[in-house]
Amino acid sequence: MQNEKSGTIKKLKFTYKLNAKYSSPITHHSFTVMFLPSDTDRQKINTLDIHISNFKNYCLSDDNFGNKKIYGLIEEAHDRFDVVISGAAETGLDIKEEYTSYPFEYSLLKTQTKLTAPGKKLIEYHRSLELDTLSGSYDKALHIMRTLPGIFLYDTEATEVHETAENALTIGKGVCQDYAHIMLSLLRMESIPARYAVGMMLGEGSSHAWVEVLCNGYWYGFDPTNNKLVNEDYIRVSCGRDSSDCSVIRGSFYGCVTQDQRETVNVEKI
Amino acid sequence: MKDLISNAETINKLLARYGVKFGIYKNGEFKEQLFPFDPIPRIIEHNEYIHLEKGLKQRVNALNCFLSDIYGNKRIVTDGVIPEEFIYSAKGFLTPCDGVAPPKNIYSHISGIDLVQSKDDNWYILEDNLRVPSGASYPMIARELQRRSAPDVFSYNSVVDNRNYADLLKEVMDYVNTGGINVILSPGRYNAAFFEHSYLAEKTGAVLTTGRDIICENDNVYYIDYNGKKQRVGAVYRRISDEYLDPMTFYEESVIGIPHIFEAYKKGNVALLNAPGNGVADDKGIYYFVPKMIRYYLGEDALLMNAPTYLPYYKNDMRYVLDNFDKLVIKDVAEAGGYGVVFGNSLTKEKKEKFITLLKSEPRRFIAQEVIDFYDLNILDETGNKVPRKADLRAFVLTNGDTKVWPSGLTRFSRNPDSFIVNSSQGGGFKDTWVLSR
Repeated sequence: MQNEKSGTIKKLKFTYKLNAKYSSPITHHSFTVMFLPSDTDRQKINTLDIHISNFKNYCLSDDNFGNKKIYGLIEEAHDRFDVVISGAAETGLDIKEEYTSYPFEYSLLKTQTKLTAPGKKLIEYHRSLELDTLSGSYDKALHIMRTLPGIFLYDTEATEVHETAENALTIGKGVCQDYAHIMLSLLRMESIPARYAVGMMLGEGSSHAWVEVLCNGYWYGFDPTNNKLVNEDYIRVSCGRDSSDCSVIRGSFYGCVTQDQRETVNVEKI
Repeated sequence: MKDLISNAETINKLLARYGVKFGIYKNGEFKEQLFPFDPIPRIIEHNEYIHLEKGLKQRVNALNCFLSDIYGNKRIVTDGVIPEEFIYSAKGFLTPCDGVAPPKNIYSHISGIDLVQSKDDNWYILEDNLRVPSGASYPMIARELQRRSAPDVFSYNSVVDNRNYADLLKEVMDYVNTGGINVILSPGRYNAAFFEHSYLAEKTGAVLTTGRDIICENDNVYYIDYNGKKQRVGAVYRRISDEYLDPMTFYEESVIGIPHIFEAYKKGNVALLNAPGNGVADDKGIYYFVPKMIRYYLGEDALLMNAPTYLPYYKNDMRYVLDNFDKLVIKDVAEAGGYGVVFGNSLTKEKKEKFITLLKSEPRRFIAQEVIDFYDLNILDETGNKVPRKADLRAFVLTNGDTKVWPSGLTRFSRNPDSFIVNSSQGGGFKDTWVLSR
């Protein structure tokens, strides 16, 4: 079952761009950017270039999930904020990732969060899936992924930024984040440790989100939005309990402005 | 004593004049109300205080051990003393704090422990407040004013001098300070306890500030004074809750926090009092386990008792709670300030059934306790008559290298004769607390 198809190694180059424009200059701008892919069993990051609005004085830190972030403070007035993160990766080195994290992560990732906590709708849907007829975390995860597109549609307008899984399922439409939250909620109802993953997919678009499930000591990636197993076309950037652990960008500043923020991601074969 | 009673009105007037107020939000509106002072003090005998002091130190020491363990190796979980569900599902368990050791490894620097005395004279712990416990300033200023109006009363009655709170607090800040000034970080003028923030800043010599005057740069924290001069900050006594402390790590919409202060803290460049993440230890569900913690970490029996508590999470306890529902008080573990408290016998049949369904579906969310028959304290009513009212005591315990109990405390009482809830946010009043030296 777990060897559906062993991946082929791919060499990819990627570019993440964030361009923000403010209607008038802002000051005291604190920012955190968490979009720095790192090496895993599946992928190797060969080069990584970071460019933040000509700003060189940023700090580096990482969190408990091993996600790296860069952050800083721009005090001077500015009306643009541009981030470019680019590099080259080798993917498909493996289809799974060994579970080496500290043992508490296991319990933590079985626990529902505010965004994944089930309500009536999810509990009902979970019951209808009859997952207890399946044995093993992998088969359960696969079944959840395969059946979700039947009741949930892709729609970029339907849900809010911090939508809960319960609300999204009730609406019946949403984006990759909502697919991932619903799948996480269902897995955690089965006491299966699972985490939210953010990353990039081959092609042009924006950042993507999927789910990683712990099966027999290994993390496997499931992409419920595309109903696909995560393979060499994916580069993972960060992971956490839900989307709130993986915010790509956070910022705060002084200024009464409207902002126009655009994010583009491009991944292509070398 | 007569002097104190005859001066009560003047003291209340002065308290109003000094701005000793308590702000509350009701229906989205900010209202300030006076915190009424009652002149009849609570008196704690010397021997009784010695016992309380020992018990409080023990409790706070164990709670600090627990926090250090939970954000470290989690031995108490792996050894099966506390089920993991009570840790990871607790609202106060903050994953970013996992693995982060605060300066000098102290988590709860200022602890507010709420106790009540029952009619059988035993003291029971009602709850621990290890996040941002407030209230020390009220008895401080009330004592200060009373000393002015009746200077002899205190030495005549052998009352322990309690004017050392600010010194104790300053010692704690200095002890964990990583190099730089001490500041008290307030959300600002419209916070419920703004009087206290400004009063404590004045008394400890710390700089009173809001997030606007503080910046983080290259993982260091700086205070910018009115001249634009930058000073390094070594300790922040923050009166802002964890969620609002740093919009870059916690609640992103917070405008009262300081961006990236958590990173500076993580790298050991600033002390935060109290440490973020303490909410996991004063969770009402964890309360049940504190006597077990004392045994586990200190190898001692708890000197101060918990109110008899049941966790519906355990099957036997659930059965007990259902069988004795009418004589118990049920608390929602996620609520504070006297909210989310239900007395079993106060519910109509219909509401009771509804509540029991909820209890069964979310057992981890509730605890049930026996109702303690409080020992009433007399207060003066509007006509000058003494009437008994329910009262509790918030003891303040400060931890630097050593753990010290402030020989005083905040005695709060309910003005409503039928109410057991004494929280200031629910409109109660307060008294001075006398600890006798012999």
